[in-house]
Amino acid sequence: MRLLPAISLLALAISNAFLPCALRADDEVKLEYFENRVRPLIAKRCYECHRRKAEGGLRVDSRESLLKGGDSGPAIKPGDAKNSLLWQAVSGNHAEIEMPPKNPLNEKEVNALAKWIDDGAHWPQAVTAARATPDEHGISPAERAFWSFQPIARPTPPPISGKWGAHPIDAFVARDHQRLGLSPNGQLPPRQLIRRLSYDLTGLPPSPPEVDKFENAFKLDSDAALNKLVERLLGSRAYAERWAQHWLDLVRYADTAGDAADFPIPEAYKYRNYVIDAFQNDMPYDRFVREQIAGDLDEGNEPEEKWRAVVATGYVAISRRIGVSPQNLKYITIEDTLNNIGKTFLGLSIGCARCHDHKFDPIPTSDYYALYGIFDSTTYPHAGAEHKPYRDDITYRIGDRRADATLDAFRKKMAPLLKQERALFERYREFQRKPINIPGYNRDVAWKNVLGLREQIRQVAVTFPNLETAFAVREGDSSDTYVQQQGDPKSRGPLVRRGFLQVLGGETLSAEVKASGRLQLAKWITSKDNPLTARVIANRIWHHHLGRGLVTSTSDFGARGEQPSHPELLDFLASYLIDHDWSIKSLHRLILSSQTYQLSSVENPGSESVQIENAANSKLDPENKFLWRGFRQRLDAEQLRDSILIFSSQLDDTPGERHPVPHRLTYFYRQHEPYIANFESNKRTIYLFRQRIRKNRYLDMFDAPDGNLHVGTRRPTTTTLQSLYFMNSPFIEEQANAIARRALKSNRNPNEIVRWLYQHLYSRGPNSRELSTVTDRMDQLLDQVQIADKTSSKENGKIKSLCSIVKAMLASNEFMFIE
Amino acid sequence: MSMDRRTAIRSLAGGGLLLPGMLSEMMADEPSRIVDPLTPKPPHFAPRAKRVIFMFMTGGVSHVDTFDHKPVLNSRHDTELRVGQFYKGSGWKFRPYGQSGTEISDLFPHIGSVADDICLIRSMTNINGDHFGATIGIHTGSATFNRPSIGSWVSYGLGTENANLPAFMVISPGLPYAGGQVWGSDFLPAVHQGTRVIPGTEPIANMHRRVSNEQQRTELNMLDFFNRQHLQGRNTDNQLTARIKSFETAAGMQLEAPDVFDVRQESKSTLALYGLNPDDTTGFAWQCLVARRMAERGVRFIELIDGSSNVDRNWDAHAELTKYDGLARNVDQPAAALLKDLKARGMLDDTLLVFTTEFGRGPFVQSPGTDGRSHHSRVFSTWLAGAGIRGGMTYGKSDDLGDRVAENEVGVHDLQATILNQLGIDHERLTYRHAGRDFRLTDVHGRVVKEILT
Repeated sequence: MRLLPAISLLALAISNAFLPCALRADDEVKLEYFENRVRPLIAKRCYECHRRKAEGGLRVDSRESLLKGGDSGPAIKPGDAKNSLLWQAVSGNHAEIEMPPKNPLNEKEVNALAKWIDDGAHWPQAVTAARATPDEHGISPAERAFWSFQPIARPTPPPISGKWGAHPIDAFVARDHQRLGLSPNGQLPPRQLIRRLSYDLTGLPPSPPEVDKFENAFKLDSDAALNKLVERLLGSRAYAERWAQHWLDLVRYADTAGDAADFPIPEAYKYRNYVIDAFQNDMPYDRFVREQIAGDLDEGNEPEEKWRAVVATGYVAISRRIGVSPQNLKYITIEDTLNNIGKTFLGLSIGCARCHDHKFDPIPTSDYYALYGIFDSTTYPHAGAEHKPYRDDITYRIGDRRADATLDAFRKKMAPLLKQERALFERYREFQRKPINIPGYNRDVAWKNVLGLREQIRQVAVTFPNLETAFAVREGDSSDTYVQQQGDPKSRGPLVRRGFLQVLGGETLSAEVKASGRLQLAKWITSKDNPLTARVIANRIWHHHLGRGLVTSTSDFGARGEQPSHPELLDFLASYLIDHDWSIKSLHRLILSSQTYQLSSVENPGSESVQIENAANSKLDPENKFLWRGFRQRLDAEQLRDSILIFSSQLDDTPGERHPVPHRLTYFYRQHEPYIANFESNKRTIYLFRQRIRKNRYLDMFDAPDGNLHVGTRRPTTTTLQSLYFMNSPFIEEQANAIARRALKSNRNPNEIVRWLYQHLYSRGPNSRELSTVTDRMDQLLDQVQIADKTSSKENGKIKSLCSIVKAMLASNEFMFIE
Repeated sequence: MSMDRRTAIRSLAGGGLLLPGMLSEMMADEPSRIVDPLTPKPPHFAPRAKRVIFMFMTGGVSHVDTFDHKPVLNSRHDTELRVGQFYKGSGWKFRPYGQSGTEISDLFPHIGSVADDICLIRSMTNINGDHFGATIGIHTGSATFNRPSIGSWVSYGLGTENANLPAFMVISPGLPYAGGQVWGSDFLPAVHQGTRVIPGTEPIANMHRRVSNEQQRTELNMLDFFNRQHLQGRNTDNQLTARIKSFETAAGMQLEAPDVFDVRQESKSTLALYGLNPDDTTGFAWQCLVARRMAERGVRFIELIDGSSNVDRNWDAHAELTKYDGLARNVDQPAAALLKDLKARGMLDDTLLVFTTEFGRGPFVQSPGTDGRSHHSRVFSTWLAGAGIRGGMTYGKSDDLGDRVAENEVGVHDLQATILNQLGIDHERLTYRHAGRDFRLTDVHGRVVKEILT
């Protein structure tokens, strides 16, 4: 039995060893040259007129079309650049034709084209075919045939005998194991399994009693024990707090706007809590998407539901702002919205099409502006910014009319003060422009005047009634948009009807629609005919459970992304999700109950035969693409901090609410004096204040996103700075101290203390060698502490010495990694 | 390794079921094996430089006001080229320096004083015209995708000469455009990312130990014990060994780093050369002097970032070129002092100095009288010195207006190829396999600018 896989391994290893080298020799080099030097150049400088428009009868998007040429004859003569029309036209060597008409190519670019033609004008076959016969939108059949645009199949799990055939996921995975001769690693032992499940689902470690209980139940009936555990974890608030963070990574959640002065958004937390609630209640994913894009347009909900759906559009509202007057750069805010919608929901980089047709994916610029119009017809709230420090277009729960009626009297009182403040501020700024000589009046006095008025404003501000508000979007003036040529809003191209991506059906708003089109967009995105939405979210859930996506480029399902390792399994998961009313929790249950999820990540668990098998597996599939073992995962920033606070009993597990930012009517921040805050708390890390301009040093050190860019896959780094953090940071020192106190309080003797620490931090007890080593070191440390500080009491000495053991355990790999 | 396992593997090998490479890998699989990714590695060929000091001016230094004299531009000052485009001459005087007669503006008299030691390239181009794209372009070779920084590539290619310090250190008081991506290792192992130094009382975060030396040693011994217990059965996982290694480096750094930053140890004359008050860590002088101390201790790639993304503190000048006086004063004397100091210590022979920015600034403005210039990546100036770079020369030219390259264009990939070349690295052979293909710093571009080498 063991020998057969090894033989097929040999055959495979040999064929693998020779293939890439042979390919690399010539073709790959030329292909690389083309992809890096020539294609981008042609796309950038020629496509605008010579692709979908085919000016002069010439298209330049395939080798064939170049050979065929246009009105002036063939454009290239492979092997002979000097006699190719294309080279002559771009190098100024043609009597009549000079291309491109504006901004000639530079010498380097001309030479790149010449070299490419001289080398035979190599253009990869697949792509040549792809561009061969495009439709009216310039999208060819081959582009439409790209895997991710195909309808989601409903594959039947292959028949596999034995325990790997019982679960559909395992059947798909086992088929590849058998095909390739991989022998899957064993199942994770129950103590490590509950640790994996707890961190995976809740971001928190299991408590020692939970571990014991699970281990005992697992021995009796492993399936029942597992199901029970999964249900308990899925039902906890901690689950929602964990999985909401994955979502917040995608939507680049932050509590500030990101403009040059980084104005705070006091209501941002409401959207964050909305996401947590959605996970807790297992809101169907299609509805979750719809509410975030167009929740304000949802009809027929209860008032409470309706308001919640308005808050959901905070997703669009928190799009990143830039500069000193973002309200005048709406096209950049919209770009951020579209970029995020593309990556988050569809796994496509739509933003690339702002200035030119997408170079790699079938997204013409017109698609970008079809979507753009929808958000141009939407009113974004204004968080305030240097050049317009007053908030605007904030949504009031009671509606604008009633809000105005309540607030107008107060606003009237405030208006002259604000005007005066601007005037005084301008007077202060005069000092930067010219010398001012007024006795008794100088820059400091001018500044004091400004501050004095701001204090008056604050005093009036706090008298305003506190109406409930949301940082949400709403309908604006609806209209279609013109293409902005080269992404320049001043350079107007054709008018585009608002609609969806051509390659995904290309629906447009029907003539009678008077609204922005956000509701329709949400429907298009969540349509069961859209093959991307379900695949992308199913892959994300898989990615977070297993540590790697079936498509490893979790936010790029386009031509530049990675192909799925298990295409049928991916479709199985996607259709399963749709069939189960888009219930995320049902997909969790499916994945977590598979053998594949429970595979051990320990390479050499002690058994000689497994060791040899795994060595063979590693040779065959070193990257574990075919899932013959689990992935070992490092605790991320949130898991690390939250766990430590659990061990010290200091975690405040109440939900986070509004951050104590200053009163919403008193923001006067500038790029020179940006808003900077740091609110300490012992709440879970998801509730920490996140600023866009100024990163949180801890979160940054441990690779958490900074709220500016969509992050689908975090990349854990290992740095000396992290190590120094474990050795010397005040947080670790304080927490280790608190953990040591707790361990001393609840245990009588050194053995019990050590056992307590192992059970909490490692979810297991120490073996006898560990027990004796650690207790010996505790004595040694106690001596060291007493020598260093002779005044210290015996009790303090004990705490200090145990603190060192705790620090070492917190720093250790066994704590920091999840099997 | 147990005899049983050895025998088992041998018998498999004897049966012809295992490939030779696999055998040696399995036999070598001792639990104690911890590979140090920073172990010094031999270069491809004999290097001229052992290390690089890369001075980066954030924001885009106007070449026509600093290193690239354009009398024609001055003579047409405020005249209209076409509607909405006016020539803008420089407000600073240029003068020739040294035997070479290299013209440099009055913003940089000290750099002028070492003109005969530097090679000034006036035909640099970048691949992107925005701060973000151009900044990562010159650091990583790509303006769009996340890629490893040049310092990370050097760390990966050559390792460190001092096990107690990272191979790539970045003194960056503020965050530049693109933030930490500027010194990120991206797909290269994280140990190669730049370690950021922030001038002040604790230049490297959590550098000072909080318990006695003995107690900390016991802590680290305990950590080693826990990690070795855990490593059993997991010894092929690089993430684990890299993390173990990072604590060794951290402990070494904790010992050695305070010394690196202690500029009070320097003589009065050295401090005077840099114009540094030893209690003042806020200026470029501190950065330069610490860079020399790092160079002495074997740090492979030292980057000094001047300014941050805050326009008040960087070279981005759309309407306030007057701030250049202050910005240049901060940088000029220390940068020149660094060169002189290295030379006096015989270190300039194997230390490559690079002084650059992400792009230049344009020769035209939209309305006359504007005290600023726009971004200009089509041409700008960079200088290099030491380690086999020809001194007292200029290379490449911009046109009469400083608008485009007139001859000998040097793109960012060419600059990168040249820096690697001086370190003994063939930029086409320093590759890393990632996502199915071999990546390199210079992508498919890059030419070593042989003309500027001795």
